[in-house]
Parts: sequence; C-alpha cells; structure tokens
Amino acid sequence: MSILTKAQAKNFAEMDDFMLELCDFLKSKGVIDAKIHRSILLKGFSRLVDYLQEKKAISAKEAKEAMEKGYTSLVYALAK
Amino acid sequence: MYGWAGQRLRVDLSSGKITKEPLSYEYRRKWMGGRGFNSDIIYNEVPPHLDPFDPRARVCFGVGPVSGTAAPSTGRVTVTCKSPLTGGFGDSNMGGHWGAELKYAGYDQIVVQGRAKNPVYIWIDDDKVEIRDARHLWGKFPREADQMIKEELGDEDIHMMLIGPAGENMVRFACTFNDVWRAAGRTGTGGVIGSKNLKGIATRGSGTVKIANPKAMMDVCNRLRQVFKNDPMKIGLNVYGSLCLINVANRDGWFPWRNFQGGAHPLANNMSGETHAKTVLKHREGCFACPIGCGRFTHIKEGKWAGEEFGGPEYEHAVPTGPRVGILEDANDIWHNARLTNDYGMDGIETGAVISAAMEWYEKGLITTKETGGLELEWGNEEVVDKLIPMIATRQGFGAILAEGGDRAADKLGLGDEGHYYTITTRGMSLPGDDPRGLGFGYGLSFAMGTRGGCDHLRSLCCLELSGALYPGLNTKILGDERPNKPVTTVGKPYMVYYEENQKTTTDCLQVCCFTTHWSYAVLTPDQVEYLNAVTGLEFTEEEFQEIGERIINLERAYWARLMSGAREDVVPERFTKEPMPQGVDYQTNVGVVFPLSEMLKKYYKYRDYEPGTGFPSERKLKQLGLDYVAKDLAPLRSKYLSESEKKKKKYYY
Ligand code: SF4
Repeated sequence: MSILTKAQAKNFAEMDDFMLELCDFLKSKGVIDAKIHRSILLKGFSRLVDYLQEKKAISAKEAKEAMEKGYTSLVYALAK
Repeated sequence: MYGWAGQRLRVDLSSGKITKEPLSYEYRRKWMGGRGFNSDIIYNEVPPHLDPFDPRARVCFGVGPVSGTAAPSTGRVTVTCKSPLTGGFGDSNMGGHWGAELKYAGYDQIVVQGRAKNPVYIWIDDDKVEIRDARHLWGKFPREADQMIKEELGDEDIHMMLIGPAGENMVRFACTFNDVWRAAGRTGTGGVIGSKNLKGIATRGSGTVKIANPKAMMDVCNRLRQVFKNDPMKIGLNVYGSLCLINVANRDGWFPWRNFQGGAHPLANNMSGETHAKTVLKHREGCFACPIGCGRFTHIKEGKWAGEEFGGPEYEHAVPTGPRVGILEDANDIWHNARLTNDYGMDGIETGAVISAAMEWYEKGLITTKETGGLELEWGNEEVVDKLIPMIATRQGFGAILAEGGDRAADKLGLGDEGHYYTITTRGMSLPGDDPRGLGFGYGLSFAMGTRGGCDHLRSLCCLELSGALYPGLNTKILGDERPNKPVTTVGKPYMVYYEENQKTTTDCLQVCCFTTHWSYAVLTPDQVEYLNAVTGLEFTEEEFQEIGERIINLERAYWARLMSGAREDVVPERFTKEPMPQGVDYQTNVGVVFPLSEMLKKYYKYRDYEPGTGFPSERKLKQLGLDYVAKDLAPLRSKYLSESEKKKKKYYY
C-alpha cells in the first residue's frame, strides 16, 4: 500500500516549505519514529531519502531520482 | 587528550588572580569549543541585567578542537560578552593567527573579568601568564601597539589581540583585533575590553595540537585542499576578496545605497573588487591554514589620501562608510574611511550605519547643524565623515552621541519613532550592508532571528541562497529542492535558515572560517565531522554536530528571553517590509520587491520549536537539548512576556 495518496502527494508537492510537514506526516503514519524525524531535520533531505530506501519504502532508482530531482519526485514515489 | 588543550585560562584584572581550569570531557562534548564555551560562560556568569561595562562582566575568547591544525582555516577566535551596543547577548568572530597561537600556548578559552587600576596587557608565554603595564600603549592604534609590544618582548613572531582608541573610550561598537587587521567587528566587544583597562593579550605558544589519527587527518585535509583548487567561490574570494560581491550586489539590488534608500547605483564598479585589484591592491593575505586567502592589503596611490596603507577592506568594511553614507565617486575616500575605522578600532558596519542614520535624520529635518555642532551631514560629504570617525572614537562633540550606537543616539536626541525608523537595526544592532529585498529572503529571516541582534553575513549565513546556484544539486541534497537557491523567494527558506544556523554555529565552535563551508561549499558538514573525528579520536555523528549548534542557539536565545526579548522583537527594519525597492540601474533584478518576513516566521518557529506567543524556546526543546536549567530560568518569564505592561514597552536595546 502506498504511503501517500495522489492528492496528498500533490499537496506536499505544492508546498513552499515541505520538510517539517512531510516528516510530521511520516511520523504520524509510523513510517519514521521520533529519533529518525529528528535526525532528518538535523541532517537534511538526503537522510530522509536514504532512510526511506533503507526501509524499502522507495526503490534505489526512485531514491536516485529523488536526489536528482528533489522532493516532488520523492512524494510522488511515495504515492505509487 | 587529543584536539582540545583541555583548559580555560581565567584572569581577574581586579585582583590580579590568574587561574587555569580543566575542561571536562562532558563539557567539551556538550559545547564543543569557541562560541559554545563562550556562550555557556556568558549565560551562567553574566546576569542579563548587569551593565556590560561593570567590572563583574566577562569577556571571553574561545578557540576550538581543530584550531591550529591543518584543517582549512583554523585560526579563528570568537570574542563574547554582554553587548554594550544592544545590552543583549553579543559575540564576534575574527580570523588571523592568534587563535592557533593561543592553542599552541595550551588554552581553549580565556575568560577575563574585573577591571585593572591602570591600563594593562596580558602576556601569555605558554604556561607563564603575567599582567603587564600598558599605560604607554593607551591611545595607540593597534598597528602601533602591536609593534611596541613586539619590541618590548623581543619577539617579532608573537601574535596578539588588541583594541584601538575607540575600545579604550568604551564606544559601544568598538571592535577587537588580532594580527593588527583581523577584526571581531560586531557587538562592541572592544568597548568591554576597554572598560577593563585591558589593551590586549600578547601570546607565544610553543606547543602543538595532538592529533588522534594523523593519517586520516592528512587524507581528509589533502582531499579538501584539492577540492578548493577549483572551487568557484574560492577563486572569486582569492582574486578579488569579498569586494568580488560589489557588482553582484548592485545587479541584484542589495547594495546599501544611502542607508538602504536604494539597492543599486551606476557608480558601484568604482569600488568593485576588480577595480580595487587594478588600482590599490598591494598584496593578498590569508589567515592561518587558509586555502582561500580572501584578505587584501591596500595602498592608496593617488589623491589626498595617497600613501595610506592598511589591511583590508572587506565588502562589509567598505560599504558602510562608502555607499551607505552616499560616497561612491572617489573610491579612495572609501578606502581611507575603512583605514580610519580600523585604526581607531571601531566596527565599520556600525560606524557607517550610525553616520548614515544621522545623515537621514539630517535630510528629513529631524536634526540640524544645531545638534551636530555645525557639521553639515549631507549624503556623500566626505569631509564630514573624515571628521566624524575620529570624533566618534574619542567621544568628541556630536561624535559622543553617535558613539552610543544608532538607537541610543536617537533617544538621546529625542527623535522618537521616526528617528528609530532610520536606524536600520534589529535588537539594537545595525544590519550589515546587505538588503534582504535583494540578497535574499533567507538572509532577511536570519537577520530577524540572529541571536546577537541584527546579525550579519558571518553569523547566520544562509549562503545556500547566495552561492547555492554555483553548486548544482547542493540545495536538493540538503533541502530537497533547488528553488531556494533563488534569493527573492520564500520557498524553502525557513528550513534553510534552521539548517544553516545550526551548521554555522558548530562551525563557530570548531573555530574555522565560514567562508570554507558557507559561501564556498568546498567543505560540507560530513567533511567537518570527518576532520573533527580524526583530530579528537571521538566519534561525533553529523546529527550530534548539528545538535550542538542547535543547543547553543537556544541558549543564546534564552539569554535574550531573560531580558524580555522574544517574538515581538523578531523583526527587521520596516524600511525592508514597507518600502518597495526602487530602481537604481536598468539591469537591476529586484525592482519593486518588499521583504515578506511574517510569511516565513511562523514556519521557522515550528522548526525551532519556539513558543508561538513568546517566541521563547519551548520547555520541551530545552529539555531535549539538555538545558533543563534554562527551562527553569524561563518558566516564570513566559507569562510575564505576554503581560499587557510588557507589551506596551518599546525595546530598541536592553
Ligand atoms: S577565507 Fe578569508 S577570512 Fe576566512 S580564514 Fe581565509 S583569509 Fe581569513
């Protein structure tokens, strides 16, 4: 089952500043815990992508694409 | 012990007592060094309502665990005190070689307290520390005092911290120097040093820094030095110094023309790095172990200032007593004014800012020659600026009023809100020569949130928007989005500022130059962690590194909270939020822009976990950072800040 609905992904993709909201959302869904949430905010986007790939929430290809294209690519991958 | 020297030197100038205090493992791990050590001392030992010039006040000088090593640019020192300019938390950071020398002498930090009966200087010769007479040095420019002390001690190779006449006269924005020309410019640290009758600290260190893993250290340093070879910002800074920014600032409309009445001017190139290099550059200089070498040495060849020489100027040193006061036609006037602020030992930014505010008061008819003692404060009047700089430093005539800083001067002159409108300050400190309507909205946000007041380029530095575009993919790696590298947008800026403030703060604890890791992004956080671990033999993680920065920011913010400074004071001067940017040149990119602070502020508070009403760090956040005692200090102040009586108070300084 996908982590985000298409509508949610679109909503995130349209945000001006998505990082905190996305991390809060992933935490509320149990995808990340409080420790990882904190780690991501301290280290940045690459930590989020690495973790989601590690947890197999996204594939290696999607992770690579997210690091190239940014968070919109990531949120749509999470809606697949 | 690896990395750190492991001890603090404490000098009480009232009693003459000199003590050495060990710094425990837990302490070093919690505060890292430099800025962290200093902020801890100020928070715990300087009550927030104490007069900064009271002998009980402290002034701290801190270096870090990698100071004096081969990591890029490890000679920096943070100087910290309760600021006499703002009345709040104050610090400033300087390059040079003194930081490395201090470490080689065996100290991570010096804390000076008390007041000597007569002028003195401190002589540190490794573990031998003495307080020496400096009556013959009082009134001397730093370059003169430096030479006299070297002759007196019979050693040309020693390095020293010094203040100039402005510091001796307790000008509220006097600065601190080392190696004569490298200034800790901001917040008035020199005035606090002067209030203690301390002229300087001469230092000779013959020790070394013990490296836990020399091979790993060599590898990472060699790798980083290779990266610097082709780094685009390094090249610009090395060839033209930070004056390389003049033409960029003019194009993007953040050039501070006439107290920020405008953001660009057709004559800007007169003072660009390119012009400086062709006309007055004598040679380039670098601080200790620096792969960039942004320092300049200027020799004026023509005109009425011909023959004058000095170290500098930097962008932020040149624009305040240049375009900010309307001087741009003859760049030699600008170089001369920068030389004067250096010799007298004053923050160039604050000096230009207070003169430009006075010029605008004069223009708007708020003051006349009656108040100025006959000085005609017209824009661009070099004769007046040339007179006023020494008058401020020696507190003569109208200069004595300006020596108090813009906001206090406005009150002394009874100028009311209109007077304060033109001082361009946040929490009592003037913004540097960077207009957030052009330089970037992230910068503007960090000006509002700076934990030393209206902050500047060397403190909060969200350069991912200034130079991020030169490093494709970097904004995405950190922020998940390339768009924040555009200056005039709110996109991604709250997170950018949160991330960069944390990183910059720990960088200030390592005491390495931010130009190697912000502006230039040749060195990134993982690289810093790598050399830190190679030096110390510890296993810092990137999270821990960033968290140390976050802890210090919260501690400094809490210092302000204890002064009843919080959300209502998180502002930038209204000129930036109310007045659309006018057109100065036809290629200017930001005409009509106003700065939208409030849009970003709420989100930023969430990242920081600041309480929405007070803006104070939340109890939860303070406890998470191991600052339970700070949470206790703030507990009774939260409701007080929200009381009607507090809300009515206008606070321009503390
Ligand atoms: S970049 Fe400039 S200010 Fe920084 S350490 Fe090097 S020479 Fe000094």
